[in-house]
Amino acid sequence: MSGAALSLREVAVPGRLQPLSLELPPGLVVGLAGPNGSGKSTLLAVAAGLLPGAGRERNDVRWNGDATAALPALERGRRAAWVPAEARFEFGFTVRSVVAQGRFAHGDDGAGVDEALARLDLAGLAERPVDRLSGGERQRVLLARAVATAAPLQLWDEPLAPLDPRHALEVLALARSLVRAGGTVVFSLHDLRLAQELDFVVLLESGRLRAAGAPAEVLTPERVRTVFGVESRLRSSLCLSLP
Amino acid sequence: MSALGKIRSIRHSGLALVLAGAALLVLALASLAWGDVRLGPGQLAGGLLWRDEFAATILWQIRLPRLLAGMLVGAALSGSGLVMQAYFNNSLASPGLLGVSAGGAAGAVVAIGSGLAAFALLTVPLFAIAGALAATFGVILLARRGASTERLLLAGVAINALLGAVTSYVLSAQTVSYERNAQLVFWLIGGLEDRTWEHIWMAAPIVPAVLLLLPLGRSMDLLSLGAAEAQSLGVDVPRLRRNLLGLSTVLTALATAVAGTVGFVGLVVPHILRLLLGPEHRRLVPHSLVGGAAFVVGCDLLGRCAGGIRLGVVTALVGAPYLLWLLRRAER
Repeated sequence: MSGAALSLREVAVPGRLQPLSLELPPGLVVGLAGPNGSGKSTLLAVAAGLLPGAGRERNDVRWNGDATAALPALERGRRAAWVPAEARFEFGFTVRSVVAQGRFAHGDDGAGVDEALARLDLAGLAERPVDRLSGGERQRVLLARAVATAAPLQLWDEPLAPLDPRHALEVLALARSLVRAGGTVVFSLHDLRLAQELDFVVLLESGRLRAAGAPAEVLTPERVRTVFGVESRLRSSLCLSLP
Repeated sequence: MSALGKIRSIRHSGLALVLAGAALLVLALASLAWGDVRLGPGQLAGGLLWRDEFAATILWQIRLPRLLAGMLVGAALSGSGLVMQAYFNNSLASPGLLGVSAGGAAGAVVAIGSGLAAFALLTVPLFAIAGALAATFGVILLARRGASTERLLLAGVAINALLGAVTSYVLSAQTVSYERNAQLVFWLIGGLEDRTWEHIWMAAPIVPAVLLLLPLGRSMDLLSLGAAEAQSLGVDVPRLRRNLLGLSTVLTALATAVAGTVGFVGLVVPHILRLLLGPEHRRLVPHSLVGGAAFVVGCDLLGRCAGGIRLGVVTALVGAPYLLWLLRRAER
């Protein structure tokens, strides 16, 4: 029970997420799939402990068996990192200082920052103000900040959407290496072909959990047809990989 | 741009703070020396050390209270503006534009108009805090956090109009004596005239409030880039929000209770400093406090040199064009 990196018990958000339970074993790259408005972002925010709910609707979210509601805020900052789908930067912080914010919960602002910048190909942009970046660059800044937290549970909301092919593959490789180092990465995505390649897939439809498990079991042609309204079949096509 | 770059290059050293402190010191000395009776360096020293009876009376009775009131008011308003900008994720938020100053003024005016102010020294600041709190909650109701500039400014317009009506009602409906009327007008056009040591004591809580602000710089950085993100990075956002809101409201209210409505300090000072030093609050908080004090002392000095223009008028003359310039620049 306490072996699950993330466990959700009957979590719900009125109007957005029907009560659902989910257990994710550690050491996996997990894809969160589903049509627009199916509750992927909401589920990630719940998993990050950001929508605790109130009263009897209190959401039971556990990381490694520990209830998030009982953890102090700083401890939560060290245990899980969350990356929103879109970042709005009102102030012109430098890329480096935004990434260094990932160290807030550790009480330092240097450790691992250069490495996080390098891993997301941001070393050359380190002194650039974040309000003068493109959408894809902003996304990489947020991912670098999440990596800088060194949190074992990484929750990323559509990290690949604004990225070019090479950076998308690099982020995927990053997810794999974080998992190899003992972490768990959960991210939402629309690319079902890519989801097919991951360790585990969670499928949502209209705020409900449709299926969770190995990609081949979850993304069956029949389910893809009923959930997404598209036909699917396997055939050889263009494959991209890092050189 | 290269000049700006040069200024930015000194931002990592403590030099900027030293420069701001030096500017404040020079302005403070000028403020003590300048007036109907001009005091030379010798008289200044003699007066401050009570060796020169005449200079000492001028300094200790009139000019020192005025100077200290100006410094406290400037630091309070500037710090309050900086906090509001982080709270609302909007660099145009400030106590004047959002109506928090007007709330403090309305509270003070009610306290004076109803005659309650005569009972105790703390009545006016307490009423000012109540009025400022009401205005703050009004703004939060009208423009949730992260609101667009338009929404925020419109909320401020509404709050300012509403509290202006309260003030006007007190002025028109209550049978106020001439003396009280003069006091009321004082609060409407902020100024530092006739401030006494009593006012300094009234404003004294500004000092602990400002000290509480100093360690919050880093969490303000995180909050200013989004509440959910800050929460996920380990900031206790609800608590931080409460602290920031409480501190900024109390700072504005106390400043208003001492000097009336002095506009634009909380907008202009943090904004210029952000252009010069970058957006990091760890640096902005101390600089805003020193810079705000220097700005208000400087504006007061300017008004006095110009033959007694009130502080609220001078800051508006400086700040309003700056705001218009900002809005024009933001449109592009």
